[in-house]
Amino acid sequence: MPRIVGIDLGTTNSLVAYTDAQTGQPRCIPGPNGSTLCPSVVSLDADGSIIVGEPARRRLLTQPERTIYSVKRLMGRGPSDIQSELKLFPFRVDPASKNVIRVQLGEKVFTPPEISSFILRELKNWAEAYFGETVDRAVVTVPAYFNDAQRQATKDAGKLGGLEVLRLVNEPTAAALAYGLHEKQRGKVAVYDLGGGTFDISVLKLISTSEGDIYQVLSTNGDTHLGGDDIDNLLQAFVHERLQPDQIDFSPHGELAQELRKTLIDIKHQLSETEVATLRFPLPNGKIFVREFTRDALEALIRPIVDRTMAPVKQALADAQLKPTEMDEVVLVGGATRTPLIRRTVQEFFDRKPHTELNPDEVVALGAAVQANILDLGVKNMLLLDVTPLSLGIETYGGAVAKVIPRNSTIPASAQELYTTGVDNQTGIDIHVLQGERELAKDCRSLARFTLRVPPAPAGLPRIEVKFLIDANGILQVAAKDVRTGEQHSIEVQPSYGLDDSEIERMLEESIEYAEQDFAERQVIEARTEAESILSATAKALANPQSAQLPVDERAKIDAGVAALQEAVKGSDYKRIRLQIEELNHATQHLAELLLNSAVESAFAGKKLAEV
Amino acid sequence: MGTHFCPGCGKVLQLPQQSDYFSMFELPRKLWIETSVLEQKFLQLSWKLHPDNFVNAADTEREISLRRSSELNDGYRTLRDPVGRVEYLLAIEGARKEGENKQQAPPELLEEVFELNESLDELREAKAEGADTASLKQRLETAEKNFEGKLQEVDGKLQSAAKEWDEAVDANVDESARKKLMGRLNELLNRRSYIRNLVVNVQKELL
Repeated sequence: MPRIVGIDLGTTNSLVAYTDAQTGQPRCIPGPNGSTLCPSVVSLDADGSIIVGEPARRRLLTQPERTIYSVKRLMGRGPSDIQSELKLFPFRVDPASKNVIRVQLGEKVFTPPEISSFILRELKNWAEAYFGETVDRAVVTVPAYFNDAQRQATKDAGKLGGLEVLRLVNEPTAAALAYGLHEKQRGKVAVYDLGGGTFDISVLKLISTSEGDIYQVLSTNGDTHLGGDDIDNLLQAFVHERLQPDQIDFSPHGELAQELRKTLIDIKHQLSETEVATLRFPLPNGKIFVREFTRDALEALIRPIVDRTMAPVKQALADAQLKPTEMDEVVLVGGATRTPLIRRTVQEFFDRKPHTELNPDEVVALGAAVQANILDLGVKNMLLLDVTPLSLGIETYGGAVAKVIPRNSTIPASAQELYTTGVDNQTGIDIHVLQGERELAKDCRSLARFTLRVPPAPAGLPRIEVKFLIDANGILQVAAKDVRTGEQHSIEVQPSYGLDDSEIERMLEESIEYAEQDFAERQVIEARTEAESILSATAKALANPQSAQLPVDERAKIDAGVAALQEAVKGSDYKRIRLQIEELNHATQHLAELLLNSAVESAFAGKKLAEV
Repeated sequence: MGTHFCPGCGKVLQLPQQSDYFSMFELPRKLWIETSVLEQKFLQLSWKLHPDNFVNAADTEREISLRRSSELNDGYRTLRDPVGRVEYLLAIEGARKEGENKQQAPPELLEEVFELNESLDELREAKAEGADTASLKQRLETAEKNFEGKLQEVDGKLQSAAKEWDEAVDANVDESARKKLMGRLNELLNRRSYIRNLVVNVQKELL
């Protein structure tokens, strides 16, 4: 049997990991450029091919209208859910979107599961290149607070990406698995997971038994639209406001907004290490926006976001019937928890120094690999018992919701409801399934509607038993049985926010088209993308009046480098393209310094043109 | 474990039709359960039944494992909760009857419930008019405390009735004595659920 990999499909970065058979330890698999992080960015090339990861991330600056990031925010959601996001993210949503959002990339339209499937396929390729064999089964992580539709969308993405998703594992639970293996932790553990776009808190009990270790989740809570992205948006809004007098077009679809965003993310990262960082941002009007940021100022700006995470933390503890000080361990997960303010806040709340030993970017993928290993070998010495984050309910008379499976129930979990008819010869009973904690159906998340078919009979005579089952992935299954005849009814469930089977079939057919791009072809595409970005950066630099100071021989070298690279891009020898990129990078180094020195002194000295 | 796995091949078995949560945990149909014993059995069975064990198994075995492990979790969730346990026992004994009208107050509470509802209406009106609600809220808080006390009282009665039930099971009493006890438990459950709804509603209004 081919091995099972563990995948962290993140908002900002995605990773793939496996468990080493010799050491029993999980490890992340590096991609072609040596990094284990695959930026969760997807771009559609003009020739129709799909570009994923680092090369796609660079395209955010050069071809923002063909490139998308943070697609995880759109998974399992409907067009009406994301109106507020559209102001902040460069999502071009097809106006014809109905139940499922459709995003425009260039001239094509994709659903979020399709876009995620490109990321999954890229990671599958990484793993296959690493092992030299086919990889077609995976454990994929999801935020613990993901609802049914978001989970189903993730599973669909796996299928479209050529992977059978054997299990969806909650991200904080995966992190606990990785830490448990690493540190041999016991007792009650809180996992605080603030990622790029989602926040989760899980409370677990780690129990040692004679059979092995049990990881029992007691409660979970969170916010599927709260993360590092929101910090970036705040910073961006802050700068936009300061630049209002300059009347600069910062529409989220523009290149400038993406450039500013990238610069601000760097500043944010710097401020986790240093007390002060300086933003220098060249504007199209020739001015350079310079501003000093202190860590204190950043913390004041993001405190509301940190505060928003604390309500779910308190709720999760209350649901587990535990006090903050009763926790034996606290674990921090997700890139955003590198922020000193978050570390301090969590430490103060639990009165305990949180664990940060494992790389917060990798720990979820490592945990997924641990779970993949458990599935591969069967439950030998580790067992994971997770819960459903949201109550499952059925709409009753008057728009109220009757809860049938309470939140934080260990999964798999089920409930049976008995239905009958209200009038003679009624042939159908409409059922509306919802998820959430509110009392009215309109305030909960609609999962699905279906009609139970009933043979004509006097009112109240039919007895249909409907079984709602939440499986180990946190996904709902529905079955119905006629109690009098024992006959099973098949149910056509129409998901409220999801793809139906025929749509998935069609997308599967289309996905084969992308699957057939072979390794060399992808290398060419990636090299071309990189070439485009340096060519456009060079052209921009040469257009700047400062470049007139360039000595004639240097200018000639650059022109020759540009011509050589343009020529190389026409061919399909990716090694040659890479070589010419290097040459041009080298030739333009002085130009880059020259441009910046005049304005910013030496801050960017030694950087390549494409990096500034 | 005999009821859960095939003694010959070790494969997971379907639970027999008449099975219930008590027999799943190999417990008598009694209402006092040692929580640590219940938990231990739950974890023991989880090791064996969890779907993670069956990823590479045949479809039908996977199906059975999914169903069985959900039943195990449902059973643990139900029996762990002292009130849920009583409700479940009455349900499988065919003795659970929710009140004819859930909205109907127990007769001896009628007067107090009437007053409470009046105060609630007044508070809602005052809120709608933007009037001062401090004194109304105070009155409701006192009333809420009163009903919380009654809830505790019912819980106490439920506990002693549960104890009586266990003693009756041990003494092997006749059918009519059993029925009488179950009727009492059922009445206490209805009463409890009525008062609890009341308290929750007041708490919501006071938020």
